[in-house]
Amino acid sequence: MSSPQREGFTAPSSISHAAQGYVASKSLGVKYHCAQCGSSFSLNKTDAIRCKDCGHRVIYKARTKRMVQFEAR
Amino acid sequence: MVNKRKASQITREGMVTDEAFQPLLQETYKGKKLTDQINTAEDKWNLLPAFLKVKGLVKQHLDSFNYFVDTDLKKIIKANELVLSDVDPEFYLKYLDIRVGHKSSNVQSNKPVPKEVNLVPHHCRLRDLTYSAPIYVDVEYTRGRKIIVHRDLEIGRMPIMLRSNKCLLDGIDDKQMASYDECPLDPGGYFIVNGTEKVILVQEQLSKNRIIVEADEKKNIVQASVTSSTHERKSKTYVITKNEKIYLKHNSISEDIPIVIILKAAGIISDLEILQLVCGDDSNYQDLFAINFEEAAKLEIFTQQQALHYVGKRVKTIRRAGAPKLSQLQEGIEAIATTIIAHITVADLQFREKALYIAMMTRRVLMTMHNPKMVDDRDYVGNKRLELAGQLMSLLFEDLFKKFNSDFKANIDKILKKPSRVSEFDALLSINIHSNNITMGMNRAISTGNWSLKRFKMERAGVTHVLSRLSYISALGMMTRISSQFEKSRKVSGPRALQPSQFGMLCTSDTPEGEACGLVKNLALMTHITTDDEEDPIRKLCFVLGCEDILEVDSATLHSKGNFGIYLNGTLIGTTRFPAKFVSDFRNLRRTGKVSAFISIYTNTHQAAVHIATDGGRICRPLIIVDKDNKSKVKAKHLAKLMQGNWAFDDFLQHGLVEYLDVNEENDSLIAIYEKDLIDPSKTNITHLEIEPFTVLGAVAGLIPYPHHNQSPRNTYQCAMGKQAIGAIAYNQFRRIDTLLYLMVYPQQPMVKTKTIELIDYDKLPAGQNATVAVMSYSGYDIEDALVLNKASIDRGFGRCQVLRKNTVTLKRYPNHSKDVLSGIRVDDNDHPIPPHASLGIDGLGEVGTKLVNGQVYVNKSVPVNAGESVLNKTEPNQSTESMRETPAYYKGAEPAYVDQVMMSVSDNDQALIKVLLRQTRRPELGDKFSSRHGQKGVCGIIVQQEDLPFNDDGISPDIIMNPHGFPSRMTVGKMIELISGKAGVLNGSLEYGTCFGGSDLEEMSEVLVKNGFNYSGKDMLYSGITGECLQAYIFFGPIYYQKLKHMVLDKMHARARGPRAVLTRQPTEGRSRDGGLRLGEMERDCVIAYGASQLLLERLMISSDAFEVDICNKCGLMGYNTWCTTCNSSENVIKMTIPYAAKLLFQELISMNIAPRLKLGDVF
Repeated sequence: MSSPQREGFTAPSSISHAAQGYVASKSLGVKYHCAQCGSSFSLNKTDAIRCKDCGHRVIYKARTKRMVQFEAR
Repeated sequence: MVNKRKASQITREGMVTDEAFQPLLQETYKGKKLTDQINTAEDKWNLLPAFLKVKGLVKQHLDSFNYFVDTDLKKIIKANELVLSDVDPEFYLKYLDIRVGHKSSNVQSNKPVPKEVNLVPHHCRLRDLTYSAPIYVDVEYTRGRKIIVHRDLEIGRMPIMLRSNKCLLDGIDDKQMASYDECPLDPGGYFIVNGTEKVILVQEQLSKNRIIVEADEKKNIVQASVTSSTHERKSKTYVITKNEKIYLKHNSISEDIPIVIILKAAGIISDLEILQLVCGDDSNYQDLFAINFEEAAKLEIFTQQQALHYVGKRVKTIRRAGAPKLSQLQEGIEAIATTIIAHITVADLQFREKALYIAMMTRRVLMTMHNPKMVDDRDYVGNKRLELAGQLMSLLFEDLFKKFNSDFKANIDKILKKPSRVSEFDALLSINIHSNNITMGMNRAISTGNWSLKRFKMERAGVTHVLSRLSYISALGMMTRISSQFEKSRKVSGPRALQPSQFGMLCTSDTPEGEACGLVKNLALMTHITTDDEEDPIRKLCFVLGCEDILEVDSATLHSKGNFGIYLNGTLIGTTRFPAKFVSDFRNLRRTGKVSAFISIYTNTHQAAVHIATDGGRICRPLIIVDKDNKSKVKAKHLAKLMQGNWAFDDFLQHGLVEYLDVNEENDSLIAIYEKDLIDPSKTNITHLEIEPFTVLGAVAGLIPYPHHNQSPRNTYQCAMGKQAIGAIAYNQFRRIDTLLYLMVYPQQPMVKTKTIELIDYDKLPAGQNATVAVMSYSGYDIEDALVLNKASIDRGFGRCQVLRKNTVTLKRYPNHSKDVLSGIRVDDNDHPIPPHASLGIDGLGEVGTKLVNGQVYVNKSVPVNAGESVLNKTEPNQSTESMRETPAYYKGAEPAYVDQVMMSVSDNDQALIKVLLRQTRRPELGDKFSSRHGQKGVCGIIVQQEDLPFNDDGISPDIIMNPHGFPSRMTVGKMIELISGKAGVLNGSLEYGTCFGGSDLEEMSEVLVKNGFNYSGKDMLYSGITGECLQAYIFFGPIYYQKLKHMVLDKMHARARGPRAVLTRQPTEGRSRDGGLRLGEMERDCVIAYGASQLLLERLMISSDAFEVDICNKCGLMGYNTWCTTCNSSENVIKMTIPYAAKLLFQELISMNIAPRLKLGDVF
C-alpha cells in the first residue's frame, strides 16, 4: 500500500511553492442543509455554524453539482 | 371478513400500542386465528414474547438505572443530608429532595413530567456531546437568622441511560422515534458520553453479606468468610481453623482471636450458652468444639470485660487527627460494634444479633470440619450477585456527592471565618462553584471506565466499554454480557467451567475463546436481574407468619431437631418449627402479589435453614407454576387472553400462574421441561414447568438454526462470529457517523429462522444472505475451508458491503485569539484545481459524492503559525495568509473512497467540529472471509464464472461451493438440516424454523422435497459446467444462510519494497499502518544460518535494512568521520566499511556509558 508520507515525497508544509497553484477566489456559493428543518442556505467564512432558519447547530454540506461517475461493478 | 377487520381496527385505535408488538394484536398471530383451538403445550411459548415485551433483553440495565435515579439517589441524599459548618454553629444546609431531569413544579400536575434532557440522543452522538439531564435538589439552609427553602437547585448533570425512564425515548412510538432519528429496534441501555456510546458491563461478584465456607483439605483448614458491605465501608471477616482450634480473623485486628473470646466479648459469657449456640446438643460438634474453651480458660478470660480488653488490645487503630484517644475497653467495644461483621448494625450495645451471627459462622465451620462436604461452592451461581450500571453509578455518585459536600463545607467555612462581611452570607452562591465536579466526575468515569472510589479503596479499570456497532447482534450481545472479577491469568478451571446452576440463567454457548473463556458470560433469553427490595416489611411479615424472634429464642432450643432458622439476607432473624408451612405460606403471599415477585425463599435442609433473599443482583427467571395435582396453572383460557392482548405478562404474575425463581429457589423445586412430563406418574412432586426450553440460550446463540444437532464448540464459535457479521445495524444506519461502519448492501432474513430471531428482531436487521450451496469439491482452490464463489452472484450483489469511515477535524481556537481556518481550493494556471485538491469544494471541504483517491485532500485546514505564542508579546497585529500553515487531511488507502457526508457542527467548547464520512463499496474478493451460522468459517479461494459452475436440472448453479471435508470432523449436523429445511422452504414458499430443541421436523421437510420432485436427502444430480456431463455423485445442494465477516483482504493487504524507516535505528518501520517491512526474525535467521547462506543473511539483515558506512580507525578501534580519526588525530589507519546502523548506535551508546568497544579489523581472504 502506498502512503503519501513516503520516503521520497513529503507533504508540502508551506504554500509558498508557486508550482502548487494559488488560492481560488473566495466567492462561496456552497449550499448547506440543516439537519433539523432541512432548509438550504449558504454560509460565509465568518458565519457561525448554525441553521439560518431554525438555529440548529448540526448542518450538512449539500451534494455536489459536479458530475460523478461510478464504475458499475 | 372485511367488516370484522374494520371493527377490530376501531377498537385498536383507542389504545396506545407498541408497534413492535403489533403482531400480537393482529387477527392472525403466528398463524393462529382467535377462534383456533389453543394448545397449552404448544402455545405456552407465547409467554416468552410477552415476557420480552415487559422485560426486554436490556431491561435489567434499565431497571437498575431507573432504581438508581428514582430510589437510590434519594437514599444517598438522606444518608448525607446535613452540611454543617465548623465555624458557625448556627449554620446548616439540609437536602430535602433530589430529582433528575425535571423540576419540582412539574410534578404536581397529573400530566406526564416533561423530560429535561439536553438534546435528542442522536444529536449528542453527532456533536460529540454527553446525553445528560440536570440533577435538581431542594435545600433548606440558614441565611443570617432566617431559614430559607430553595427548590430546584442544579448541582450537576447526570448522564442518562438511553430508554430509561428519564430518557426522551422512553414510551414513545416508532413514528416519534423516527422523528428523533433513532432506531426503534435499538435496545438502549447504554450512555452517550462525549459522543461515544458507552456500556457499563454487568459485573459478576461473590455475594455480599453472606457466609461462604471453604476448606483446604491439604492444609486442613476450614474457613467461613463474610464480606460485609455497607454504605460506609467494605470489610471481610473470617472464622478459621488453626490446629483444630477456631479463631476469628479480621483485617483491623492484628492477631487472630480465639472464637470463645470473641463470643464472650459479644456478650455471651456462659460457656454453656456458647456451646448451645454453636453446637446444639450434637455430641460430634461438642467434641470438636470443646478444645476452644480450654484456650480461653488458659488465657484466663471469663468475663465480657476481660474479653473486650483482650480484643481492644489487638485492634489496629487508625485514628483521625483530633479524634479523642479511646481506652482499651472502648476500642474493644468499638471493634465489635462497628468493624467486625460491619453489615449488622449494633444499637444500644445490643451485641446479641452479632454474637449469634458469629456463632452461626462458627457452627458452619464445625459442620465442615465434621463433614468436609458441607463447603460452599464459590462458582455456584446462587452465590453470585450481578452488579449493574445503576449500582456502579450509585457508588460513584455517592463518592462525588460526598466530595461535593466537603468542598462546599470547606468553602463556606472559609467565608464564615472572615470577621466582617459586607452583606449577609448566602450559601447558595458558593454551592454552584462545585457543580462541575459531579458532572465531570460522572463523565470521566464513564468515558474512561476507571471507577476509583476512595471510600472502598476501589480502583477498577475497564468497567465501561464502547458499544460495538459492527452489527445489530454485536450491540445486543454486548448488552447481555457479564464480565467476571476473576483474574484472567489464574489457571484454576473452576470459575471457567460451565456450572449446572447456569441452566436457564446464563447462556450455555456464548462465551469467548481464549483467555477470557468462561469468565465472560452472557445472559440467557429470559433472565431478570433483581434490584434491591426493602428488608423491614419482609422481616415483619416473617414474624406474622409464625417466625419466632431470634432475640427471644432460648439458646438451648436454637439447634434442637426440627427447628429451622430463618435467615433474611443471610442474617438469622428467627426460628420456626414448621419450615414447610412457613415457606409455602410465604410463597402463596408472593404468588398473590402481596410480596414483591423477586423475593426468593428456599429451604436448606443441611443447614436446617430457611433463606429469604431480598437483595439486588440475583439472577432469576420466570417459570409456570404447577399445582398439587400436577396440572399446569396456565390453562388454554389464559393463553387465549394473552393472544387477544387482554393480558400481559404481569397479569400471569399477579394471578399466580407464573413466578420468578432465582438460582437458589430453583434448587428447591422440580421443574418439568415439557407438558408431557407432567403426566408421568412416577413424578408426583413437580412444582414448575418450563416456559420454553430454548431459553437456555442467549440472544446471540439463538441465531443458530438446529443448534441441538451441532457439536457444542461449533455453537460457541458461531457466537463469536455472529458478532463480526456485516449486515444492517439499525434503521438509522445512514444517519449515523461512526468511526467505522460496515453495512451489507442487500441483507436478507434467513430462510431457516428461529423463534429467537423473531423475538430479537434479527429478521428486521439481518446480517447475511441465503446462498445456494453445493457441498462438493471443485477446482482445488477449496481446500482448508476455502469457498468457491460464483462470479455472477457477486455481480448481482452477493456479499457486497459498504464501509463507512469517519474522519473528524476540529477547528481550534487558541488563547492568542487566532484560530484554525479552512483555506479554499488551489488552482493551476488554467483555473483547474491542482490534483490533490480535485475533490474539494471552494469552501475547503470535500464535495459530497465525489471520488477521493490516495493522497487527495478532503479537509483543507490551516493552522496559524503563531498558535503557541501567548497573547502578551504579540508581534504581528493581524494574521496574514502567510502566517498560516496548511495541515490538510489526506485520504490514505489503496482503493478510492467517496465522500458520503460532510457534517459541520459545534462541540461544547464552541469549536467547529467537522466530520467527513467516507464510503467504499466492496464486492467480495479473493481472501474475504465468510461463515455459515454453524461456526464454519472460510475464505474465498477462487471466484468462478457462472458458466463453469455445475448446474442442476432447473439450471440453478450454486452461489457458493463448499468442500465436504468441512463436515466429518466438525460434526455440524445442524448445517445439513438447515440446508434441507431451507430447500424445503424455498420449494414451499415458506420460512422454516430451526429453533433449538424444536424447529421444523426433518421428516416433514424431506416430504416437502419429495413432493416437489427432489430427493428426500437434499441431494441433486448436477451437471458439470465445464464438460456438460452429469457429475459422478449426487450433490448435497440447497440454501444455507451465509454471513460476510468483517475481515476483508482490502483492510489487511500489505507489501513494501522501499519505505519509511525508524528515526533512531534507521531500520524499516513496523506494521501495516506505517507501511512497514516484514521482519526476518530470530528463528528465520537461525534457518538461514543453519543453511549457510551467508550472503543472503548479509543482505537481509544489513543491506536491505540499515547499512551504514563508517570510518573506523584500525589503530584505536573507534569510529571517526570523513576519513579522520578524532581519537588518534590522524587519518593514517582509517578504513571505510559498512556496518548496520544499529551496530554503530550500540557502539556509541556503549561509549556514552564509559565502555569502549574497539573494532579490530583483519583480512578475511
